[in-house]
Amino acid sequence: MAKPKVAFFDFACCEGCQLQVANMGEMLLDVLGAIDVVEFREVMSEIGPDKIDVAIVEGSITDHHAVERIKKIRERASILIAYGACACIGGVNGMKNNFKLDDIRKEVYGKDYKYFDSVETRAVHQVVKVDYKVNGCPVYIPEFVKVLKAALAGLPYEVPDYSVCVECKLNENVCMYDRGLTCLGPVTKAGCNSWCINNNNICYGCRGMVSNPNENGAKDVIAKYNIPMDLVVNKMNMYNKCREIDQREQPKKKH
Amino acid sequence: MQYVTLKKERFDDFISRLAQDKKVVAPVAQDNNAYAFEPVTSGRQIAKDYIPTILPPKKYFMPQYETLATFNIGNGQQMEPVVEYERMILFGVRTCDLAGIQCLNMVFSERPKDHNYLVRKSKIIIIGYECNDYCDEYASCRLVHNHTPNGGYDLFFTDLGDKFIVHINTQAGDEIIEKTKLFEEANEKDLKALEALREKKRKIFANEVPVVHENIPQVFEKSYNSNIWEDLGKKCLSCGNCTNVCPTCYCFDVIDEPNLDLKTGKRYRRWDSCQSETFAKVAGGESFREERAARQRHRYYRKFKYPVDKFARLFCTGCGRCSRTCMAKINLKETVTALVAEQGLTDKKAGKE
Amino acid sequence: MTLKRVILKDSEYEIKRARILRTKQMTETEKYFEIQLPGGESLDHEPGQFVEVSLLGIGEAPISISSSPTKRGSFELVVRDVGKFTGQGGRLTGALHKLEAGDEVGIRGPFGKGFPVRILEGNDLLFVAAGLGVVPLRSLINYVIDNRRDFGKVTILLGCRTPQNMLFADEVNEWNKRLDVNLNCTVDKADPEWKGNVGLITSLIPGVTLEPERTFGVVVGPPIMYKFVIKELLKKQIPERQILLSLERHMKCGLGKCGHCQINDVYCCQDGPVFSYDKTKNFPEAV
Ligand SMILES: Cc1cc2nc3c(=O)[nH]c(=O)nc-3n(C[C@H](O)[C@H](O)[C@H](O)COP(=O)(O)OP(=O)(O)OC[C@H]3O[C@@H](n4cnc5c(N)ncnc54)[C@H](O)[C@@H]3O)c2cc1C
Ligand code: SF4
Ligand code: FES
Repeated sequence: MAKPKVAFFDFACCEGCQLQVANMGEMLLDVLGAIDVVEFREVMSEIGPDKIDVAIVEGSITDHHAVERIKKIRERASILIAYGACACIGGVNGMKNNFKLDDIRKEVYGKDYKYFDSVETRAVHQVVKVDYKVNGCPVYIPEFVKVLKAALAGLPYEVPDYSVCVECKLNENVCMYDRGLTCLGPVTKAGCNSWCINNNNICYGCRGMVSNPNENGAKDVIAKYNIPMDLVVNKMNMYNKCREIDQREQPKKKH
Repeated sequence: MQYVTLKKERFDDFISRLAQDKKVVAPVAQDNNAYAFEPVTSGRQIAKDYIPTILPPKKYFMPQYETLATFNIGNGQQMEPVVEYERMILFGVRTCDLAGIQCLNMVFSERPKDHNYLVRKSKIIIIGYECNDYCDEYASCRLVHNHTPNGGYDLFFTDLGDKFIVHINTQAGDEIIEKTKLFEEANEKDLKALEALREKKRKIFANEVPVVHENIPQVFEKSYNSNIWEDLGKKCLSCGNCTNVCPTCYCFDVIDEPNLDLKTGKRYRRWDSCQSETFAKVAGGESFREERAARQRHRYYRKFKYPVDKFARLFCTGCGRCSRTCMAKINLKETVTALVAEQGLTDKKAGKE
Repeated sequence: MTLKRVILKDSEYEIKRARILRTKQMTETEKYFEIQLPGGESLDHEPGQFVEVSLLGIGEAPISISSSPTKRGSFELVVRDVGKFTGQGGRLTGALHKLEAGDEVGIRGPFGKGFPVRILEGNDLLFVAAGLGVVPLRSLINYVIDNRRDFGKVTILLGCRTPQNMLFADEVNEWNKRLDVNLNCTVDKADPEWKGNVGLITSLIPGVTLEPERTFGVVVGPPIMYKFVIKELLKKQIPERQILLSLERHMKCGLGKCGHCQINDVYCCQDGPVFSYDKTKNFPEAV
C-alpha cells in the first residue's frame, strides 16, 4: 500500500508547532516511516500534488486571503488536522478580537491601514470542517502522534474532555495552587500529560476549556486564593477568546 | 518473638541493606510540604515527618497506566495478556494507607479476580510506620479507626525516640530482620514504652467528626437526598483530584494504543474518575450522573455506604488527601459533620474521651 | 530490580479469536453478525447476557447476545453504528460495521445476569421491546419458542421508529404467524404499506388482556422508555418483582471493577444488566 500523502500548511502563527515536528527526534523516523511528506514549507520547498490524504494546518485565519486559501486546502485534502492552539481555538491571535478591527489595523499598520486586509480571528473549524484537532501551544508531540495514528487508521480521536489536573495528579506533581500560583489546569482540556506543570510552569489554558466548566465554582476558587479576577480573565482570553465565536454561532447544545 | 528494636543510628544502614537486593520505595520530600513515594537507596533520602504522600501507595498495586495485553493483528485478533510487576519493599506506609491497601485487596480478590493486581501485590513487601501524632488538620483517621495499626503489613515501625520498635507480622518480615542483622530483641521496657505511646495516642486522636462510629452507615442511608450534595456540586470543578489521590478509589478506563505500524500495540488501563463528566456517559450523549452534585454524592457513597453493605468496611481511610488536594476546598470532615448534624445524629460526648 | 512483563495465563482480559460467519446490513445503522468461537466452542450463555466485542487497536464494547442458547455452534449479534446514528463517537461500532464474513473479532464473556429463565417457566410472558431492545429480547423470545410447552401465554409488543427500522422483520413475521404467540407492533412514523399501529409502545399495553399474578413483564429499550412502560405495567397490576428490565450503562471491564457501569451500589455488568423492578425502584440512579 502506498504511504499516505501528508502536507503541512501554516496560517497566522509562530510556526513553533511545525518546529515541534522537526524537533521530535527519534520518533520522527517512525513517523516518516509511516507517511509521505509532500509539502512542508518549514523544511522543504516543493509544492505538493493536487490531491493529498492528510492536510495538517497550523495557525488561525485572520484575513480574507487566508479564508480562501484554507477553503482550497480543504478541497484538496481527504483529512484535515488542525494543528496547534492557533488552528484549534484561535490561540493568542484571538486577542485581536478584544478590539475593534479598525482600531487594530490602525495600531498595526498606521495611517495606511485601509490597504491592509483583516478579519476577526477565527479558529480553523470556524471556517472549514476539521476532522482532527491537535491542541496546544505548542502541540504535545506524543498527542500529535496519537492523532496521526487515528487519522491513518480512519478512527475518531476524542480530545479528553476532563481537566489537565487528571494527568497532573497521575504524574504526582505538587499542585500549583499549593504553591500559591493560579493555574488554568482545572478548566483546561487534558491530553498534554500536564507537560507545563511537569516542568514547573503553570497551565495557561492553551488547549482550550473543557466543554462544561463549572465557571461559578472556578470563580469561587479564584476568590478563595485571593487571585485578582481580571488576571485570570486575561489569562483565559490569551488563548480562548475565539471560544466566543463558537458560543455565538453554534446552536445551543443540550449540556 | 514478635517485637524487635532498631537503634536510630542504624536506620540508614537498614535501608541501604534492603536496597542492595530489592527496590525500596519510601516517602521523599517534594516542595511545599508535599511528599511522594519514590525509590530510595539510603535512609537519609526518606522524609522524617511526612504527611500522607500526594498519591497513595496504590500506585504500586494498580499503577496509573498499566498494560493488560499486547497485541499483533497482522494475522487476526491475536493478543497476549500480560502482567507487569516489580519486586519491591514499600517502606513508611502509614496506618491509613495500610487500610487503603486492605480495601483494594478485597475489591480485586473478589470474583472475578483481578490477577494483574494480585500478582503485583504478591511481589510487594510492606513496612508500616506509626503516626505518633496527627499529620495535619485534614486527617480523620480516628473517625474510621485507622489511627492505630490493623494489620496489613509485614513489618511495622514505631518511633520510640532513640529507637524504633518493630512488630514482625509475617515470615517475609522476619526474613528481613534476619537478613539485615541490625535488630535486637525488644525488652520489657520497650514494650511498656510502646504501650504508653498507644495510650497517649488515645488522648491525642479524638474523633474528628462528632458521630458514634456505628452510626455512620445510618447517616448515609438517610442522606441521599440531602441538599448538602447540591452545595458540593456548586463548588466542585470536576478536576478528579479527590479520586485520584484517594487510596481506595480504583475506577479505571481501558484504552487501546496501536503503534505507528497500526498492527502491534497494547491494551492498557488508566485511572479514571467518577467526577469526570464523561465517566458515565454512553454513546449518544446520555450521561447517567450528569449533575456534579450526583457525582460528589457517588464519591461519598463509595466510601461510606456501598462498601459497608458489600464488604462490611468503610472505604474512607481517614488520610485526608481528598480535602488536602481540593482547590474548591471541599472538605470531607466538614461534609460528614454537616450530614451528621442534618440527621440529628451528632454525638454530644464527642471529643471528650 | 526492573519492571518485568510476563504473560498472564488466567487474565480476565484475554479475548477469544472468533470468526464472523455471516453478516447482513439490517438497516442503515444496524448490522447483523453471526459469529463462531474457535473450534465451534459453545458460548454457553443465558438469554439476556452480553459479550465484550474487541477489535485490537480500536477498543472493546458490550454487545447483547441476540441468539437463543438453543442455537448451537454459533451466536448472533446486532450492532448499531452509534457514530452514524447519533453523529458522535462510535469508535468500535463504526469499525465493526466495516467487517464481513471471514473477518475476526475478539470475544470475552458471556457476562452478567440474564433473564431468570427458570423462574419464568410456567408463567405468562409479556415482552415489551422498543428500538434496539428487540436484539437482546430476541434471545429470550426464541428460547421460549423453542421450549414453548414450558411457558404460559406469550405476548410480544414491539415498537420502532419506522417500518424500515424494524429489526428481524422476517422473524417477527414468523412469530406473528404462530398460534401460540400474540404479537403487536407499533411505529412512530408509518409508511403507506404499514398496516399496524402508529404511536408509542406504551399505547399498546392497555389493550393487552392478562392475569397479572402469573404474568412477567420483560422490558428492553432505550433509557427514557422504562419509566413510562413500567407505569403502564403497574397499572395492569403486574407485581413489581415480576417486571424485568435490562439496563444499559457505560461499560469497560465487564468484571465489576472499573466502576463505569455502577448504579448506586450494584454493577450493571455483573449484577445486571437484567434487574427486577422491585430492586431497581430502590436505586434512584436506575431509571
Ligand atoms: C449490556 C449492554 C448491551 C448492549 N447491547 C448492544 C447491542 O446488542 N447492540 C448495539 O449496537 N449496542 C449495544 N450496546 C451499546 C454499545 O455497547 C455501545 O453502543 C458501544 O459501546 C459504543 O461503542 P463505540 O466504541 O462505538 O462508541 P464510542 O462513543 O466511541 O464509545 C467509546 C467507549 O465508551 C463505552 N460506551 C459508550 N457507549 C456505551 C454504551 N451505550 N453502553 C456501554 N458502553 C458504552 C464503551 O466502552 C465504548 O467502547 C449495549 C450496551 C450495554 C451496556
Ligand atoms: S478535588 Fe475537589 S474540585 Fe476536584 S473533583 Fe474532587 S471535589 Fe471536585
Ligand atoms: S463494566 Fe467495569 S464495573 Fe461494570
